[in-house]
Amino acid sequence: MSKRQLAMVMDLNKCIGCQTCTTACKTQWTNRNGREYMYWNNVETHPGNGYPRKWQESGGGFDASGNLRPGRIPDMNQDYGAPFDLNYEQALNPLGQGTSGEPPQLAPARMPYWGANWDEDQGAGDYPNNYYFYLPRICNHCTNPACLAACPRQAIYKREQDGIVLIDQERCRGYQHCVAACPYKKVYYNPLFKRSEKCIFCYPRIEQGLPPACAQQCVGRIRFVGYLDDAAGPVHKLVTKWKVALPLHAELGTQPNVYYVPPLSPYRYDAEGTLTSERRIPDEYLVKLFGPRVPEVISLLEAERERKRRGEPSELMDLLIAYRHEEMFKLDAPSPSKPGGARLRVIPIVAVQDLERRLSERAIAAGGHAGGAA
Amino acid sequence: MASRRDFLKLTGACGLALGLPEELLARIAEVQDPLQAYPERAWEDFYRKEFAATRGDAVGYAFHCSNCQGNCAFHVFAKDGMVTREEQLAQYPQISPSIPDPNPRGCNKGTIHSQAMYEKDRLLYPLKRAGRRGSGKWKRISWDQAIGEIAEKTVETIARHGPAGVMLYVGTGILSQGRRAGPLRLGSLMGAIRLYPSSAVGDMFTGATLAYGIPNVGTSLDAWFEMDYIVLWSFNPNVTRIPDAHYLWEAKWRGAKIVVISPDYNPTAIHADRWIPIQPGSDSFLAMSLVHVVLAEKLYKEDFIREQTDLPFLVREDDGRLLRLADLRQGGRDDVFYCWDEATGKAAPMPGTRGHIRKSLRLGALKPALTGRFEVAGADGKPIPVTTVFEKVRAEAQKFSPEATQKHTGIHPGVVRQLAREYAAAHDPGLTIGFSLHKYAWGVLACWAQALFCALTGHDVVDTEHQWSLGGIGPLASPKPSRFSSGFLGEWFSGRMSETFRRHYPAKEFANRTGLTPDGLVQLAERSRADKWLANYGEPRVRILFADNMFRRNKSSEHYKKTVLDATELYVNVNFRMDSSAELADYVLPAISHYEGWDIRGEVGYHRYVNLTVPPKGLKPIGETKSEWEICRLLAERIEAAAGRRGLGRIPDPAFTVERDGKKEPLTRDLDTLHADFTMQGKLGNDKDVVKWLIENVPAFQPWKFEDAVERGFIVLNSNAGLTSPLYADKPYRSFEEQFYLKRPYPTLSGRQQFCIDQEVFAKLGCTVPTAREALHPSRFPLKYYSPHTRWGIHSTWRTSKYMLRLQRGVPHLNLNPADAAKRGIKDGDTVRVFNDVGEFRTMAKILPGVRPGTLMMDHAWEPHQFARRRGMDAPVAGLLSPLELAGGWGHLRFGAEWDGNQLAYESSVEVAKA
Ligand code: SF4
Ligand code: SF4
Ligand code: SF4
Repeated sequence: MSKRQLAMVMDLNKCIGCQTCTTACKTQWTNRNGREYMYWNNVETHPGNGYPRKWQESGGGFDASGNLRPGRIPDMNQDYGAPFDLNYEQALNPLGQGTSGEPPQLAPARMPYWGANWDEDQGAGDYPNNYYFYLPRICNHCTNPACLAACPRQAIYKREQDGIVLIDQERCRGYQHCVAACPYKKVYYNPLFKRSEKCIFCYPRIEQGLPPACAQQCVGRIRFVGYLDDAAGPVHKLVTKWKVALPLHAELGTQPNVYYVPPLSPYRYDAEGTLTSERRIPDEYLVKLFGPRVPEVISLLEAERERKRRGEPSELMDLLIAYRHEEMFKLDAPSPSKPGGARLRVIPIVAVQDLERRLSERAIAAGGHAGGAA
Repeated sequence: MASRRDFLKLTGACGLALGLPEELLARIAEVQDPLQAYPERAWEDFYRKEFAATRGDAVGYAFHCSNCQGNCAFHVFAKDGMVTREEQLAQYPQISPSIPDPNPRGCNKGTIHSQAMYEKDRLLYPLKRAGRRGSGKWKRISWDQAIGEIAEKTVETIARHGPAGVMLYVGTGILSQGRRAGPLRLGSLMGAIRLYPSSAVGDMFTGATLAYGIPNVGTSLDAWFEMDYIVLWSFNPNVTRIPDAHYLWEAKWRGAKIVVISPDYNPTAIHADRWIPIQPGSDSFLAMSLVHVVLAEKLYKEDFIREQTDLPFLVREDDGRLLRLADLRQGGRDDVFYCWDEATGKAAPMPGTRGHIRKSLRLGALKPALTGRFEVAGADGKPIPVTTVFEKVRAEAQKFSPEATQKHTGIHPGVVRQLAREYAAAHDPGLTIGFSLHKYAWGVLACWAQALFCALTGHDVVDTEHQWSLGGIGPLASPKPSRFSSGFLGEWFSGRMSETFRRHYPAKEFANRTGLTPDGLVQLAERSRADKWLANYGEPRVRILFADNMFRRNKSSEHYKKTVLDATELYVNVNFRMDSSAELADYVLPAISHYEGWDIRGEVGYHRYVNLTVPPKGLKPIGETKSEWEICRLLAERIEAAAGRRGLGRIPDPAFTVERDGKKEPLTRDLDTLHADFTMQGKLGNDKDVVKWLIENVPAFQPWKFEDAVERGFIVLNSNAGLTSPLYADKPYRSFEEQFYLKRPYPTLSGRQQFCIDQEVFAKLGCTVPTAREALHPSRFPLKYYSPHTRWGIHSTWRTSKYMLRLQRGVPHLNLNPADAAKRGIKDGDTVRVFNDVGEFRTMAKILPGVRPGTLMMDHAWEPHQFARRRGMDAPVAGLLSPLELAGGWGHLRFGAEWDGNQLAYESSVEVAKA
């Protein structure tokens, strides 16, 4: 059992679907070495098939009595979508090498069948009451990882100091039991190294006091990172104290450590085109993902928002607003080693004049008296 | 917890049972239960080493100077001279504890430039065309040969046709003050033609200029956090303002209500409290209905509009024109205007107008009437019946009750009334519009009516795209006047877009909706040019383009391409990648991209931080690429030499004059000293010198030193950066405090927010006060086609990066409503043909329930070379102009940075079929 557990909270009400997290993880880890097809961090539109395609129907996890459920290994083309290259040289000939005939159009060398964001913004329902939202997903670094339980080589473990689930890259032989067993389909087989890999919660960054790339670089500022038992940290407050952050598909028994604040949505229209007071994402849909407490959490969010609107204090809303980016992360590590050498002194904002002075000086310059009819 | 034995039983079930070699089984025994403890962790260095490699051995700073208004600071990491990765700097200071800080800023595109800069579409060497244009046949040549030949042809053209024979244009691919300076400076010294980019791409907020005299007004985007009621209209910030969108959703948690108005259920709408679906192009009707409700229910703030707007101005009932001093006194000024003073019962001149000696909005003893009908004695002694602008506005708004406009907008009247009431009642509401609105012919009216709505409710101004006023750049970027031309009109004439316009818009239908026949519009465009309402210097023979994807962005693209190329004798494209315009050029010159040279940018008004690009130490140049500054310097050198050989030195350019010893003389273009002039007598040798110069000379950058900026990667603007308000150190920026509090006039003819414009085009079309007009989509094709901004590119930049395409579908796709698709037997993933009488293209269909029935939506800026036969998505978009944007020669409607029109993009109709 790990002594402590690092966890992530994502506020789906702030996720804008920009995929900056996806590209941040991509350039940090998966743009090389046989990982090109992998998205350790992906963001998918819900309702939808997601990534890998239909992962929610691919089995894995545990049944009610705690036994592993069978799982499916996703297909490279049909489910992940093989990472295509483009015919830049033939189509564009940027180096001016000899060509003959009409250049072809710029296109994937092989047309993809599926991709990590294939059903972007599609969702469900009929205009103007259709609906969708974004669900970013990384490895859940589960407390009871199905991948770990499934590994016959015992090559998967939880780090003692932070609960990060890792696949020992020296020990792994690429049997892919973990790939099938993870109900979130967050383990990927590396065909080049012939072993399985997955999100490592950026432990090399964590160890230097830097938040995971996907969280640090999340421009929607939706992600909080910290230790679950750290009562002073935002993660503990959102998960344990306010209980507004819920795990995804908890029924699969892995005890995930990524938590989501479920999304509100715009009101529906009735047949005449007037607004109702019913939110357009059906509760049942969110309950299917985040469990039975969804309606209760949404009511709490709305009530606290109303308090804040009235000018009353709300710790919950202040937490979710996240006034300071760096306070979204509490890693208990020694002082961050920021790149660029020594830490810079804090940059002051240049206050040239204050309002009163500037305004009054201008007024004097302009004559300083009210004008009557000329 | 599941036991291992349980699992092994199951492996057969998933068909994965693999035999384990003996010796491996032996090693397994070392680990007891990995959930409890794991002994061997030395391997963890594996990922640590990879991390260290991405962190590299050198670090620099950068931002992306493309036409993205994000302007986000990044760290750039490099190893062995190659960029490995970038990461947002995330070190901007918080301006106040009550406003969330702006970190980390950045987006999906910015975070993959480290990959895109080494992509296989990168240009590495100068190329010269070796076949017909666009054939893809090139010869690699040296810089020396390329610059020499281009200089020779340029000088020959100047000798034959004067400076107007050359266009030297830097497009929106570079908007930073540093890298943009080179092409601007060279073009300005030579007197070359350059278009107004904002107009050429359709980003002018002309409706705001009508009302305020300037197009770019509003707030820095952190102001959203302070607001309690936010309306986002034709604006999709979750996609187009990725780094700042968080302020909206943080405002929502602070209690703000958020309303999104758009035809499609866009990614911003999903987080709103209310989404109001609207028929594309019908925005002016909704805006007028809001005005209607505010007037009918008396929700307006009289004090505000009496002082800050022209609504109390007197207007003649006989000819509808504003009452001027000239009407009352023979030879009187025509920029002094009147109100009806209730205190004296007489007409009285309003202070603060252009012609009034008192430059203040303070009313003093004046009590201007808002309503009523009066009589004044004309210059000839005859009485003139007058009323107020307010009365005219009210009469016009009378026509647009929410019930009456529902048939245009598709919005239930109850929804409109609720919106108007809530907005008027809110404490600190904001209405922000996006660039989409002015892509329709009547966007100008919609925006003007929105401004009126904001004024009536006493709530500030409509938010467009606020920009800082940096100052001090003139001596660097425009040492002499260039041939600065109207962007949209220039493209209209160059591409002979009148031809596709006439083809697409049936005369009767068009005339019914605009009050002008198609011929009338074409003549109006001619008139606007002839009367110099808008500047145009004719067609250039030589086009030298920097960072401009001209043949991608122009509408009627096939027609435009042929027309422009046929008229161009030399076409040079300076670019970092082979885009759809570079591939048509005669010469392609390889330039640096965002991380490879020195640069600085600070004009974007969304935030107050000025970013720097400082390349990581030891960064290896990519191929033979050069900075824009260096390319321009070389051009200057060789043009000077080529001119010298022809005996050309100082060429008089009588289109412009200078004062010398009290006498007006024609300006000269001094080709004999071009290189020395370009480098400021050797002071500005390279791009780093330019950045230094800017930091030393731009007042809004004071007191920061070059060294401070290089140390941090950014500096913070001082209070002078605000154009109409100070930029306070601890508060978000909001426009027009000088007008609201100091009562200084607005830069309009009336000196106020102006809602009556009696310029002749406005008068002729019945638009002297805000009104609404029907969208122009021809009814003979069933689907309205529009193309909003995408989250996957900044226009075409990064559009073809494989890292972006893999997160889409690899090929361009068109979005259809499921019902429209089903009617035509189209399924998701099918190849379809989009066509009308202007052009056609083929693309993949994507079924999107959030697309409004009867419309087709396609994210814009796919490269034409991504389509079959290189026919891009703008092939069926007809040329179109808004007649109101052709007006000029009146008050504050004079061509320049504040007044120019838009290339319209969203008002063509098409049909779609399975290909
Ligand atoms: S999400 Fe999947 S891979 Fe990650 S720890 Fe849980 S079971 Fe393992
Ligand atoms: S924590 Fe790190 S490895 Fe995991 S998804 Fe995020 S960026 Fe990728
Ligand atoms: S970066 Fe943040 S806001 Fe953007 S998609 Fe990822 S989680 Fe959502």
